[in-house]
Amino acid sequence: MRVLFAGLMLFIAAPAFGQDAGQTQFVSTCSACHQITGKGIKGAFPALAGDPFVLGDPQALIATVLNGRGGMPAWKGELDDAQMAATITYIRSTWGNTAAPVTAAMVAAERTKTTPTTTQSLQAH
Amino acid sequence: MALSRRTFIEKLAVVGGMSLAMAGMEALGFGFASAQAAPPTLTGRGKGTKVVVLGAGLAGMTAAYELTKAGYEVQVIEARSFAGGRCQSARKGFSHTDLIGNTQVCDFDEGLYINHGPWRIPYHHRSTLHYTKLFGVALESFVNDNDASYVYMEKGAGPLAGKAIRKGQLASDLRGYAAELMAKAAAKGGLDLPLTPNDRDKFIAYLVSQGRLSPKTLAYGPNEGRGFDIPHGAGVDPGPGKLSSPFALADVLHSDTWKALEPLGDHEQQLTMLQPVGGMDHLAKGFERHVGQLIRYDTEVQKLVQDDKGVEVFVTDKDGKTGSIKADYCICTIPLSVLRNLDIAVTAPFKAAMAGPAYAAVNKIGLQMKRRFWEEDHFIYGGHITTDIPGIGSISLPSTGWQGQKGVLLGYYAFGAEAARISAKSPADRAAFAVAAGQKVFPQYAESFETAFSFSWHLAKYNLGGWAEWSEDARATAYPVLCEPNGRLYLAGEHLSYLGGWQAGAIESAWQQIGRLHARVNAA
Repeated sequence: MRVLFAGLMLFIAAPAFGQDAGQTQFVSTCSACHQITGKGIKGAFPALAGDPFVLGDPQALIATVLNGRGGMPAWKGELDDAQMAATITYIRSTWGNTAAPVTAAMVAAERTKTTPTTTQSLQAH
Repeated sequence: MALSRRTFIEKLAVVGGMSLAMAGMEALGFGFASAQAAPPTLTGRGKGTKVVVLGAGLAGMTAAYELTKAGYEVQVIEARSFAGGRCQSARKGFSHTDLIGNTQVCDFDEGLYINHGPWRIPYHHRSTLHYTKLFGVALESFVNDNDASYVYMEKGAGPLAGKAIRKGQLASDLRGYAAELMAKAAAKGGLDLPLTPNDRDKFIAYLVSQGRLSPKTLAYGPNEGRGFDIPHGAGVDPGPGKLSSPFALADVLHSDTWKALEPLGDHEQQLTMLQPVGGMDHLAKGFERHVGQLIRYDTEVQKLVQDDKGVEVFVTDKDGKTGSIKADYCICTIPLSVLRNLDIAVTAPFKAAMAGPAYAAVNKIGLQMKRRFWEEDHFIYGGHITTDIPGIGSISLPSTGWQGQKGVLLGYYAFGAEAARISAKSPADRAAFAVAAGQKVFPQYAESFETAFSFSWHLAKYNLGGWAEWSEDARATAYPVLCEPNGRLYLAGEHLSYLGGWQAGAIESAWQQIGRLHARVNAA
């Protein structure tokens, strides 16, 4: 089981290192919900492949990744401008998606409109 | 008409019985508990009225239990093969498949378990405690704070960063230094406070006591509260032992370890904390013993329609067979994260309000250790290791089975973005991640690790998140809409309370809604 799994991870992770930071970031950060295939999980997590929102207005998309929405956490405290730009560019240009890249400057501009994350208590429930 | 407090409470007693009057007293500041103490008294007509309850979690089973007692005909629809909702415990044989497709079957040794859902009951959650008592669920202390536990912060700077430091030592040093600074300033009249000389002396005496300062010099230094490098003991050797030396204030400040110290926990985290003996699911089983015969398991809700005569719920069982249940009213406890994807006949504003809250990504992992090294080698009996290692949050040591051979500890309890990241890993890799992190704090961690069970609430099909998270905006706009019935549909659950994520929120929300439903039935 362990051996089988190690092989699988290698298969998923290998192209990420060679290809680009956006893919690496996507695999580690987004794929639990949106899936490696970008198809999401029906009734739970939206598909990114072919999704009009992903392919549309980059400002709205950046704002959503920064601030979170529904079940999606806010990523503004986790990803810097370059990481977020690379990740969003990746989802806009993979699985048949062909939308324009997003730059770190565009993320930085949206970030100025957000409020910083408030500190959470150490224990939740 | 102006009401005095007294007449108001008397009126409550007439309308809702003593329990509501008691709750009224709390609301007016006569008590201190936030939680409602007892279920509403459902006197009057209930007989013959049919209620379908969606979800056999604590909210659903509370509604079923209380309504049945009042004579209602109740049927409960539950998607899972067991009752409890999020009130679950994983022990040997417990199986879970997440939305990614990872299947885990828990293989802890007999007698060991992890509460991967709710795990503690605050002393003032009298609603939860009402049912633990009623159903004979044995409780024990949950160690929610421990002076001996470690703080491990690796993002800070200086000699204390990346080191496991006893929480009690940090507390002593920080409070001591702060008290010293303030006491010395106060003694010189340097504090800009409206103090008479007599006030000032009392204030300094308080600071000397709080910081264990020298009454003469007002300096903070080695003291028994902080503890020993060589513990005191018998005879002349070790005899008095040797007191430990405080860390330098600047080292503590720059290490970030002070972030682990809270003056008092939040209201819900204060002592005393309790847990059911043997696992939180004993509470669910207590309910199930009384309402289990009303529950239709393995049955998914697909659609709900309603008119001014009643409701009809369309369901599918695990073999794909469809059916429907008709009732006069519906109490729906399905989390909004799931409910908003179902075909539910409600008004447009109600439907829009269901999109209001976010749902928290939440991870937990239980790690079975072949030896209780945290007790044997580190003298830590329960409590939490606070750390800033991303994805860990806290490592929590079991408050049960002390001095046994093996134990299951909580390897991480993390939320939000960090949790989403870790959940993308396979169960084996989640365990490897958790073990590597714990190894930084305890040298015995990796060599003691045997087996793991991990759970991600956002990847659980019938939950899609650990709990509802309300923004201030959504609380003001969507929340009040959802607290009202929509036609013959009443929502209940932790998401419709200010006790979000707590079992008390689920129970008290159910109490409130059945009280209103009952009033409506009796007014009809």
